[in-house]
Amino acid sequence: MRILIVEDDLEAADAMERGLSEAGNACTRAADGEEGLTAARDGEFDVMIVDRMMPKMNGVQLIETIRREGDQTPVLFLSALGEVGDRVAGLQAGGDDYLVKPYAFAELIARVEALARRRETGSVQTLLRVGELEMDLIGRTVHRQGKEIDLQPREFQLLEFMMRHAGQSVTRTMLLEKVWEYHFDPQTNVIDVHISRLRSKIDKGFDRPMLQTVRGAGYRLDA
Amino acid sequence: MRLPRIFRTTPFRLTLLFLALFASAASAFLAYIYVATAGEATRRTDQEITREMHSLVAAYDRAGLDAVNQSLIERAASERPFLYLLMNNDQKRISGSIEESPVDNFVGPARWTSFSVTDQDAQGHTVKHPARGLQQRLRGGQMLFVGADIGADEAYVNNVTRALQGGGALFVLLGLAGGVLMSRNVTRSMVGLTEVVDAVRNGDIGARAQVRGTRDEFDELAAGVNEMLDRLERSMAGHRHAGDAIAHDLRSPLTRLRARLEVAYLDVEAGKGDPTQALAQALEDTDGVLKTFGAVLSIARLQAAGTAPDPVLFDPAELAANIAELYEPLCEDKDIDFDAEFSKDLQARGNREFLAQALANILDNAVKYTPAGGAIMLRVRRRSSGEIEFSVTDTGPGVPDGDRERVVERFVRLENSRNEPGAGLGLSLVAAVAEAHGGRLELAEGPGKVGEMGPGLRVALVLPRPA
Repeated sequence: MRILIVEDDLEAADAMERGLSEAGNACTRAADGEEGLTAARDGEFDVMIVDRMMPKMNGVQLIETIRREGDQTPVLFLSALGEVGDRVAGLQAGGDDYLVKPYAFAELIARVEALARRRETGSVQTLLRVGELEMDLIGRTVHRQGKEIDLQPREFQLLEFMMRHAGQSVTRTMLLEKVWEYHFDPQTNVIDVHISRLRSKIDKGFDRPMLQTVRGAGYRLDA
Repeated sequence: MRLPRIFRTTPFRLTLLFLALFASAASAFLAYIYVATAGEATRRTDQEITREMHSLVAAYDRAGLDAVNQSLIERAASERPFLYLLMNNDQKRISGSIEESPVDNFVGPARWTSFSVTDQDAQGHTVKHPARGLQQRLRGGQMLFVGADIGADEAYVNNVTRALQGGGALFVLLGLAGGVLMSRNVTRSMVGLTEVVDAVRNGDIGARAQVRGTRDEFDELAAGVNEMLDRLERSMAGHRHAGDAIAHDLRSPLTRLRARLEVAYLDVEAGKGDPTQALAQALEDTDGVLKTFGAVLSIARLQAAGTAPDPVLFDPAELAANIAELYEPLCEDKDIDFDAEFSKDLQARGNREFLAQALANILDNAVKYTPAGGAIMLRVRRRSSGEIEFSVTDTGPGVPDGDRERVVERFVRLENSRNEPGAGLGLSLVAAVAEAHGGRLELAEGPGKVGEMGPGLRVALVLPRPA
């Protein structure tokens, strides 16, 4: 993936670039909003990682500008401002996701991958298929190897999210945000329990587990 | 040139404006009075002159010139207030009380004129009186003039005018004096406020305006200013407190983290420890510190703001149901019987995100302390007072009566919970959320002791009745 990092904290940008490059991505860096704008106009990127508060032109202004110009590249905002209002303002400006600093690196990578993937599946789908697993989004049914799996509504949403991001690591925080729409971290492992329930439904009785636990990151659904 | 302060005050300027307006109105009124009185006097004189003229002309028509002449002589002898002049066809005086006509270049049958007559007053001074007169041509070509001294009328009008002028001057003076008085009054009322504003500007946030109890707008303003300053002072104290609290709250976990890193470093250096494990431990510790920081920040912000951001009207049962759905599997996993009971058609007002987090924190605690085989009950109902109550009752060990206040304080963890994970901020955040919504957190004993279990804890987040 080609990733544009617009971040004025050079040390943080270094760490990001190193981590993302090691994960096989090509990174371009910009140290402030204006540089970021030039880079965004000049290059083709799969994802932009944009710090919210920067000198010259802040992240929100930058994204508003490129969105006005018709650039639809997925944007992940990074911010030290974590209040609900800040988040909403970032998303309204045209951001696609919002990560509050400080973050775990696994979280950043998982979100960048999720954003890049979302772009590929732009069209409206009625059927999701991951390996043996099939999800009918209209009939609200799930089959594995032709066998129907009975899911609660929330389990269905959870599996849908995992299927849309099949092959990628998905963090607990992402699940809590995207499936439950909560933006706080519970102290206990509530998400793990939901995942293990889902796992027992889609993997139990089959030869091969699809729902994997990724150490230090979260979960991944493999085909 | 700078005017004295009093002339720059708003009330004084308003007084001047008012005075100017009133003076214009008064002038118009005075002008009307003048026209009415002076005009009336002239009109009356003219009427009398006309009547006299008619009677003389009638005498002429009836009995001829001699009769008029005769009549003039008689009239001149009487005390009639008229001036007469009878002239022949060549405009030469025949008889009368004046020597010549004040009318020049007489043409036409009749003509009015204003003129003056000379007289002597009581002191023997020569004075001129204004007079009015009518000259008319008689049928035989002779001319008759009848006039009247209108000095008395004029004097009357002049008196009226003088009275009016004096009144006007008095009025302006009184108005100015009133304006000055009013300004001084208002200024005195404002001085207190100005002093308070100055004091606050110079850093004395404790300054307050005096409320005199007169319940006028100045009192209201003073009370308003005081209330504003109270809030400001509270908010500033809150912020200061929040800063202190964050510094205090983070010092201990950071100290712990540093100590662990130092020990790990020494161990690794001595070839005893595993660097990877030390780093993993340090990462985990850092995450712990960050989590603590996030919680402390949330609490501090809520306490400093005093209100919950972005409040909306919502269905508390729905909010609770969503959280219940999140925690129900966890309970089942721990073999805890989870039950929920929600009243329908309730409404509450608040920040859903914060309230959801508060409920999650309460449930986190309940799950943490309730042993397998126990039970947790989540309930939403309206109290008879109209308040909305979210309550979580568990069958864990509970909190002794004397400790219930304390567990809400930050970082307080009871002895028997030391080995459970968590920083001891859960209930503090719940309390901060409740207070920010104008509500409160209530802790009470649970359902009581049953065998090994209990007596349990009942935690209630109470929100005020939505306005």
